[in-house]
Amino acid sequence: MNTQLQILIALQDILLLIRDAKDPSRKKQEGRIGFKMSNLNSLEETLQDLEEKLDPAVRGQYGRMKQRYGRVVAPVINAVCHGCFVTIPSAIRGAEDRNKKLYRCENCGMFLYWVEEQPILR
Amino acid sequence: MNLSDILLPKKITLNLRSKTKEGVIEELVKSLRLSAPARETLLTTLLTREELGSTGVGHGIAIPHCRSLVVSRVRLAVGISKAGVPFKSIDRKRAKLFFLVVAPPVGDPSDYLIVLGQIAQVSKKLYKDKRLSKVKTPEQLIDLVKELEK
Repeated sequence: MNTQLQILIALQDILLLIRDAKDPSRKKQEGRIGFKMSNLNSLEETLQDLEEKLDPAVRGQYGRMKQRYGRVVAPVINAVCHGCFVTIPSAIRGAEDRNKKLYRCENCGMFLYWVEEQPILR
Repeated sequence: MNLSDILLPKKITLNLRSKTKEGVIEELVKSLRLSAPARETLLTTLLTREELGSTGVGHGIAIPHCRSLVVSRVRLAVGISKAGVPFKSIDRKRAKLFFLVVAPPVGDPSDYLIVLGQIAQVSKKLYKDKRLSKVKTPEQLIDLVKELEK
């Protein structure tokens, strides 16, 4: 996997964690189960540390996506970008270097990540 | 959704070797059999979630969890540590029974919370059940979970 994409995915996961931790109803629901969600500052620091690992050009695009959508990477499932739900062009769909190279959705601009096939192993 | 439906024998480790919180989470993530980069990313997210507050819910149970792009459906791994591991749990007791849950960010987030709630309920029953110490195979553990879910 492209190392920049790997960082972007980790960043997106942490952005989601922060969003959940800031959502009062979510926090309440998790609290009912017994989970604590209190140390938000530490998460912001982890986010900043990871952001610094992005190449300058990627960081610029990341910043714009983060500001516009609050998320930066869209999973591709069944050839559909799950950022904007538009089918991705066939030229990208069939690319052998997907996840090895950074691709962005031509419609919404989000970075694309083809989720691994995960067969059920019994 | 029943837990026993998403709990697979290959995702159950009956004798966790790690002695630290980080080590146990890593061992459980490994059992999910993802690619190395996906595993690494997931580990970062799970450990970051622990920074927010421990997922050790007390009574010897920990439920590390997160939503991550690296999975396309809810994934569950279970582990048992005979000696227990310090997990910064609410009651400060060592955690011995672990349920690791990862859900994709797409889809209804309440589904994920329902799964977490189910795990919290079943894990408490499981931990108290004397049959847990007699479990020798992952299949036996799944059968026990099935029974407790009824």
